Amino acid sequence: MRKARAGGDDEAVRQNGSSSRRRTDQHPGDGEDHDSSSGGVQDDDDDNDLGLRREIRSKYRDLINSVQQNREDMLSPSNNKLTEVLEEANKLFKDVRQAREAALDAQLLVVATDLGKEKASQLFSEGSAFDPSAFAEHLLSFMGLNRLEDEDDEPPNGCASDGYLPKDAWHRLARRAECCFRTAPSFHYMMGSFYTEPPPPKQRIERQRKAPSKEAKRIMPTQLKKMEESHQEATEKEVERILGYLKSYYQDDPSPISYYEFVIDPNSFSRTVENIFHTSFLIRDGLARLKLDSDKLPCIEPVEEEEVEAAGSFSRKQCIVSISPKIWRELIDVFEIKETIIQPPETQSE
Amino acid sequence: MSRELGDGHRRFLQTLMAVGVTDEQEARALYQHCCDTHTMQCIPDKLDEFIEAINSRLQPMFMQIRKGMSEENGRQYYALVNMAETDITRMTSDYADNELELFRKTLDLIVSSENGKASSTDILNSTDTMTSKKLKKSETEHLLTRLVQDNWLCERRGEYTLSTRCIIEMEPYIRTMYQEQVKVCHICHNIAFQCQICENPSCGIKIHNPCVARYFKGRVEPRCPACDDFWPHEIPEVRGLRSQSKR
Amino acid sequence: MTQRKRLSNVQSSSQSKRQSNSFMTQEEDEDATFTQPSTSQVQRGLEKLTAAQVDQKTAEVVQYILVKDQKKIPVRRADLVKHVIKDYRTVYPEIIKRAMLTFEQVFGLKLVEIDSKNHMYVLVNNLDASTARPSPVERPSNPKMGLLFVILSVIFMKGGVVRENLMWNTLKKLRVDPGQRHEEFGDVRKVITDEFVRQRYLEYVRVPHTEPVEYEFRWGQRSDMEVSKAQILEFMGQLLEQDPQSWTQQYREAHSTASSSQASSSNHR
Repeated sequence: MRKARAGGDDEAVRQNGSSSRRRTDQHPGDGEDHDSSSGGVQDDDDDNDLGLRREIRSKYRDLINSVQQNREDMLSPSNNKLTEVLEEANKLFKDVRQAREAALDAQLLVVATDLGKEKASQLFSEGSAFDPSAFAEHLLSFMGLNRLEDEDDEPPNGCASDGYLPKDAWHRLARRAECCFRTAPSFHYMMGSFYTEPPPPKQRIERQRKAPSKEAKRIMPTQLKKMEESHQEATEKEVERILGYLKSYYQDDPSPISYYEFVIDPNSFSRTVENIFHTSFLIRDGLARLKLDSDKLPCIEPVEEEEVEAAGSFSRKQCIVSISPKIWRELIDVFEIKETIIQPPETQSE
Repeated sequence: MSRELGDGHRRFLQTLMAVGVTDEQEARALYQHCCDTHTMQCIPDKLDEFIEAINSRLQPMFMQIRKGMSEENGRQYYALVNMAETDITRMTSDYADNELELFRKTLDLIVSSENGKASSTDILNSTDTMTSKKLKKSETEHLLTRLVQDNWLCERRGEYTLSTRCIIEMEPYIRTMYQEQVKVCHICHNIAFQCQICENPSCGIKIHNPCVARYFKGRVEPRCPACDDFWPHEIPEVRGLRSQSKR
Repeated sequence: MTQRKRLSNVQSSSQSKRQSNSFMTQEEDEDATFTQPSTSQVQRGLEKLTAAQVDQKTAEVVQYILVKDQKKIPVRRADLVKHVIKDYRTVYPEIIKRAMLTFEQVFGLKLVEIDSKNHMYVLVNNLDASTARPSPVERPSNPKMGLLFVILSVIFMKGGVVRENLMWNTLKKLRVDPGQRHEEFGDVRKVITDEFVRQRYLEYVRVPHTEPVEYEFRWGQRSDMEVSKAQILEFMGQLLEQDPQSWTQQYREAHSTASSSQASSSNHR
């Protein structure tokens, strides 16, 4: 937004100047840089004139810049810098012949007048003047600045005054400054900041019971192993069972099945999660594939026996499916799922 | 029902707004301070009545200064809490929606754990299942630091527990949301996270560590107060007795 | 996965609601349609409502303002009417009056209108920050208040308005550089020219006829209500080891009736 700020934007200003110059002067051979006029083939008069004008403009810009950058300095009652700047401008103005340079002179005057006004108000104001630099110095001390004793030490980052502030520097100042503020304390809370929703299915409740005694701990590993084995078997069985549902469904209607309609059990969130889990093996093993339909919704279809072999060479992509009770309910609503495709295994049915 | 409050009450309330939670000893000192500052009469034993007066006026806004015990040291604390969930309370801007989701996941982890703790790894992993805008690892770490700073969680060696402030405010919520998972302390009947558990599988009662310390103090052979089985855990030292003598 | 996207839209409705609240939305028209009901209208409105209904609405307004004050953003009347008052607009003056009373009687806070044109409210403290003895419960300090103090002080001491150059230069001496990330404040420029401005602690406006463009700082309306010039001068005197009265103009301003009625709290203790 702001084009130029304090420090280092000198360059930008000048570049702006040179590009606009090119546009207005329309002078061949003026494209290079400030010294290009020496090699010019055009009549010398015009060229010299242009060079001079360029120089004047550049000097004006420097002056304007220096006033803006060193505002504080200029304002100090102890020097005459503002007058010096104005005298310099007077000298420049003697050679000003054209509107562009005159405009710059006017701009400088606006800046200088503004400054002069402030300087005057400072002189005439009663009581002591306020010096922001001195204020800053005293604040640094108050905030506990560790001034570097050793003169030889390189000041870090070329800071105006050396040393470093302790970690709590700003806290220290804030604490002292508090009495200047009549700030209302604010009220913060956690409960009530989010929607109350049921927690995820509690899987661990049974395990909680089994705070293992020393004996129980010892026999645990073998038990665990057994469990894991049977677990794996169960998973394989379940995956096969689900493939069965997918195939028979596909036979009845050989078009891709909506993935969500396939895996969601509208009667049970946990069954849905299990279905998603088991279905992922079908995809992994290349027995089924997922794709997006014309509505960009995921759908699933079984892979033909012959294809399964060939598919081994296909590069497979992974995708994480997340589901929460809330999403689950929303999906049921959106897809209007009334019944489950994958029937729960009989053994567990209530 | 509602009583006239003085500036002393107001200063007490404002201080609790600023700090959120304070232990009983500090609360007593603060009570004294507020009375002194506003030349009110201060009756040392009437802190709870003083607070009751404030609560009677906070009630319409569903706010309350509530008392609860620290699972850490067994001392009593006072926290200023919100009691309702409405369209207005959900407008709070301290945490973004996804940050709140992660907080709730952390809550899930802690409630479903046996020792009332959640490791930073588990919390970081739980970002995988977020439904709102997923938090990056660095964002999660930053959030956890903030939650500790704001006094909702405590952290020790990479493990997170619910702070006293959090338990005091969230207890009714946790009791209803996690009905089947949450257990109360057999001794003080408050909800228990960090605690010892009876190892008898048919018993399995929970007792807060500070309650264990107080209950088994001086007993040679500690036995479960419910099933009379041997209590096999280390009995911690009783701490924070300073202000207990009064009650 | 459009399905997911569609769903997340559903979910984010609460999120967008929250956003539209925390940022000042362009609901000027909303406010324009809200005309302050007349006394007789209020009277008639109250007759249709039970005492409990009015009490409940008042409590909601108090809650809402407390929530909005968490980030110190002023509450706009338009938002208040839209989100809380709703069907109770006819009795709005009565409800806001009661809310003000609740803040005073229960919390020791004052609800003040800072911008009578745009109708904005802020909460300020009725209780003195400095007490004879320090509080036994230490409140957490907010380092940004330190930064704000520096800025407000410089503006006040410089006669009420300061060019941004001077401000940045002064802050640089305190190791706060608007061009660099600060370890305590982060993006300092944003904190100062955006956060403090939205909170109405500061005004940051373009100086006309400047090329390159320059900005200047003034006190915002919240600061006029919340910050004590007398206390600033007092602290200034301590820092610079100078009698506060030696800054004649500032001293006069700090102790003039206009400002002391609002924020000065130094004298009566």
